[in-house]
Amino acid sequence: MRILRIGPLGITTHRRTFAVGLLMLAALAALLVYAMAHGQSNLTILDSLKGMVGISIGSPGDFIVGQVRAPRALTAILVGMMLGVSGAILQSLTRNPLASPDFIGISMGAGAGAVLTLWLVGASSLWVTAAGAVAGALLTSALILILSWRRGIVPLRMILAGIGIGFVMQAVTQYAITRMDVHDAGNALGWLVGSVTGRTWTHVEACAVMLAVLMPIVLWNTGALRTMEMGDDAARALGVRVTAARGTLAACSVLLAAGAVAVTGPIGFIALVAPAIALRLTRNAGVTLIPSALMGALLLLASDQVAQAMPATLQLPVGVFTAAVGAPYLMWLVWRASRGGQS
Amino acid sequence: MRTRALVAIGAVAALVIAVALSLAIGARSIDLGTVWQALVDLDPSDPEQLIVSDLRVSRSVIGMLAGAALGVAGALMQSLTRNPFADPGLLGINAGASLAVVVALSTGLATGFAAQVPIAFVGAGLAAILVYAIGARGAAAGAPVRLALAGVALTSLISSITYAILMVDEATLDQYRMWVAGSLTGRDLDDVMPLIPIVLVAIAAALIASRQLEAVALGEDAARALGVNIGAIRAVVIVLVTLLAAAATAAAGPIIFVGLAVPHLARALVGASLPSLLVVSAFGGAALVLVCDVIGRVVAPPGEIGVGITTAFIGGLIFALMARRMKVVEL
Repeated sequence: MRILRIGPLGITTHRRTFAVGLLMLAALAALLVYAMAHGQSNLTILDSLKGMVGISIGSPGDFIVGQVRAPRALTAILVGMMLGVSGAILQSLTRNPLASPDFIGISMGAGAGAVLTLWLVGASSLWVTAAGAVAGALLTSALILILSWRRGIVPLRMILAGIGIGFVMQAVTQYAITRMDVHDAGNALGWLVGSVTGRTWTHVEACAVMLAVLMPIVLWNTGALRTMEMGDDAARALGVRVTAARGTLAACSVLLAAGAVAVTGPIGFIALVAPAIALRLTRNAGVTLIPSALMGALLLLASDQVAQAMPATLQLPVGVFTAAVGAPYLMWLVWRASRGGQS
Repeated sequence: MRTRALVAIGAVAALVIAVALSLAIGARSIDLGTVWQALVDLDPSDPEQLIVSDLRVSRSVIGMLAGAALGVAGALMQSLTRNPFADPGLLGINAGASLAVVVALSTGLATGFAAQVPIAFVGAGLAAILVYAIGARGAAAGAPVRLALAGVALTSLISSITYAILMVDEATLDQYRMWVAGSLTGRDLDDVMPLIPIVLVAIAAALIASRQLEAVALGEDAARALGVNIGAIRAVVIVLVTLLAAAATAAAGPIIFVGLAVPHLARALVGASLPSLLVVSAFGGAALVLVCDVIGRVVAPPGEIGVGITTAFIGGLIFALMARRMKVVEL
């Protein structure tokens, strides 16, 4: 055990967790530098670092690094963090490693909101689409909560209600897609797979603001989250206000997922995989939020690098590549669980 | 026995009413007398009779075919996995068929409908084997949440691959987006005709195998004691589910939740007896698809909503409400 102190804030952490966290941070930094320097035109590491912090390195380099690569990579990192934390909270709350916002309707709701906006308002600006996505996600989660509320929330019932509502939202999305003209429909489909291409500093700021507001609330409730993993009764006996804590955490998880979807479209599998890998690396008994965030950032940034490295005829959105990483893991997870292991 | 007979008669009556609605209601409402006339003694000079015989008959036949196939496939799947949430759409089997068709469209392997059908069968079969192998075997096979999540996860994986192909290929997208919405209008009756014997044979085979499948559902030991070849019966059922789901998908696009909702309602009426359940599910599924199609024709005039969208919308709500009603232990 070790206690990290930054001013009045303190986080207790295990030595291994701390070491793993530092390693992931280092890997993230290395990957970020690589992402700045490599691409269609290669720059020296020193130049790309200068470009990232705003020191001029000559006109094309300034633009490539400062306006294209840096915001794209930072968006990937921040969205990865949001997804990682959102998934970690949800998996801990539902005590189910298969739960993630992509599967229980939240991302589908965000997708439906965005596609409806695309159809009704048009693709005027990314911000309008994003607002539609957030509204869709919030509405969907409210609907899921109402449907699964019977004298409190039972997590498993929430997952199933979420799956059902997810299909309702997909029906709405498909209806909108059949009614649009084919070019818009192509755009909508592209948005639905998730991509970080062409993101600007405004997107980075939006993500940073959301994380800055929501992360302190989440971290404040980490203790309650860990305690609730032992069961509601035990948590109550230990003085946790279960319903209030669960509500707050679930709201944070939904907002983080909705924010991520709003900025990049629903990028699948990160929220599912990142917390699980973080858990295995740190060998923690319970939920590990900060390693999950770092893992999410690493996975998304790495997937985006793979996506960019593909030949020009195969330029696909990053969501396809995260699916390629996440799917085998998921298959293994379900297969292992069906062998009689823990769910 | 008497209730079962009554329920069976009720299901047939429901189907007859649904067919009548499907023939009569649409952008242009046609009274039942004219519909009858068009069926028994067609007068080609009457435009209303032509609408019935040219458009609505084929549409109703396709709807009945897909609905009956999905109802039976759902009942079989639920019995095989001992899981009330099993549904060919929910478990990714329809998505597998879709992916196979998109690959075929995009590579130019299958241009006509006749060539797409066997490809849809292959895709559905692979997805069925995959989801069954990972989600429905072993110690915890009965847990509804696990199978549902496994299916949703598999579906989201398959659809992201499908999306990826569609994004680089706009021509395929244009053909596919109509197909995927689940519509009874996009097909010629002549194209669908070869599917009818496939579905009928598969339903008959399911009825023959149903007693043995019932024994398997009692548990492996009980089945073995009754002299049932468990492996063989499971393989047969998976093949039948694949055939039925793929035929339905090929005829009407991926339709979800019919295989979930219909056997669920039927079980409440006829009890656990599998043969009766299969018969009632066949008629009930056909009736439900037709009713959903009629709803899709009238809610958004002048346009129409594809039946796959209507069933997903209604079925998703039913699914969520089912989850709400279940006791915690059952999950």
